[in-house]
Amino acid sequence: MSMKSPLIALALAFAVSPVAALAAPAPWPGLPAAQRPAPGTPNLVGVWAMPKRITALKTLDGKAPPLLPAARAVYRANIKALKADPNSDPVAKCWMQGVPRLLYAPYPVLIAQEKDRINFVHEVNHTFRVVSLTRPLPKDADGLDPLWLGYSAGHWQGKTLVIDSAGFNDKSWLDYSGLPHSDKLRVREEYRLAGADTIQGRVTITDPETFSRPWTTAFTLVRKPGYELKESVCSRDRKM
Amino acid sequence: MQRSPKTMRAGAWIAALTLMGLAGAAAAQDLSILERMQAEDKAPPKSFEPTPPPSDPRDFTGVWEVSRFAKTQGDTASTPEPEFTAMGLAEVKRLADSEAGGRVVADAGTQCFPHGMPRLTFSPYPIRFTYMPGKIVMLHEVNHNVRIVHMDRSAPPPGTPLTFLGYTVGHWEGNTLVTVTDHMNDQTRIEANVPRGPKLKVTERWTKAKNILGTTDLAVTVTAEDVDFLAKPWVRRLYFAYRSDVERDIPSEGLVEYSCEENNRNAPGADHIVTAK
Repeated sequence: MSMKSPLIALALAFAVSPVAALAAPAPWPGLPAAQRPAPGTPNLVGVWAMPKRITALKTLDGKAPPLLPAARAVYRANIKALKADPNSDPVAKCWMQGVPRLLYAPYPVLIAQEKDRINFVHEVNHTFRVVSLTRPLPKDADGLDPLWLGYSAGHWQGKTLVIDSAGFNDKSWLDYSGLPHSDKLRVREEYRLAGADTIQGRVTITDPETFSRPWTTAFTLVRKPGYELKESVCSRDRKM
Repeated sequence: MQRSPKTMRAGAWIAALTLMGLAGAAAAQDLSILERMQAEDKAPPKSFEPTPPPSDPRDFTGVWEVSRFAKTQGDTASTPEPEFTAMGLAEVKRLADSEAGGRVVADAGTQCFPHGMPRLTFSPYPIRFTYMPGKIVMLHEVNHNVRIVHMDRSAPPPGTPLTFLGYTVGHWEGNTLVTVTDHMNDQTRIEANVPRGPKLKVTERWTKAKNILGTTDLAVTVTAEDVDFLAKPWVRRLYFAYRSDVERDIPSEGLVEYSCEENNRNAPGADHIVTAK
């Protein structure tokens, strides 16, 4: 059956029988009724990947992030170390990628959506985030145990999923080029559907110990229909 | 492994079991954990919240954790020991002898790899279920293990590789989620001290069940079949308590970030052997 047939069928049904056309398929297939998001909530469920690799984050106008002088020196040192030895990258030790770097890993991400939370399952080293859509970020996030992936809280702002995160450790990099951050990092992710199969995303980085001002970068995710997440396992010692 | 409130609690639990004589008092060395556990016992229970799980019998969302106590009639105390074949017993003996000689043969989880099946299901850490078209996803706190139950397949696709957690297909029988897992690699075990051969197949039957306290558990019957290592299938029944308190009190919806790789203080060498450090 060609891709167009369902559309034609739908158009015919609408023309012949408005009642039939109104009997839409059950929303949120597979999801128990009590967990279904409110009608009209954008559907991000599925497996997604970036269409092209982004190794160094840039601002929206394509410029380098506004590093403070000390952080610029750290960044230069990271770049130099990485060139000399790829194992200087924290993820070479199988440490977690951190946020937002996890999104930029060259692996797909599965998104499973519920009324009260959103689950991100990244193929890379089977790393997941479970983000509440009902509970705020802990007020003392910076005083809690610092985490690789931080503490996160999400909400829908119109049709945009907004996730705020804080409480990170300072051991991860923000991207694959070695961009550093401090434990004062705050990250805002925004996910917005552009058509059914594309997410236009933004990440805003706020870290007064690393950058002179908050800055924003953009990303795109496209659906990978039918893709099954593989078991990806990081091993320091052995090739799996 | 990063020490978090949750891992600490699991440690306290292990210490408690140790003191109860299950493994001998000699192993109870970590007094700070013991003291912590005693302080927890004295403190008023602050987070018990008997919120019932979703009423839909097929809705397993929420946080579940293997119940510490036998709350359900015909419970885990009666779990039989596995019966090995000669080949299985030889491997048990090899592992035991190596350990007695100070060279512990590490299994997958000790190396920060996915725990394998059904070892993962037996792990005393919280889990979450989430649903999407054709799949049910199980998220485990322990070493961020992820299992994907393929509800849209009746068998693994051709060419499926051998992996730590294998390939899992599932279907509903009434309100029981039945999962079948195979295609596991040779680095996993059935349980910490139960080795396995290459033909291991694991069937799990997950269903909600009322316990004798009147609350609802998630009960699972795990059947491990291994014609090479087990003389007959090993069947274990476990009960997962619904932990709305954990979901409420612990950030990240009840699953604490678990970074095994960050500080694996007793990591095995490339030969899979752990020696005391």
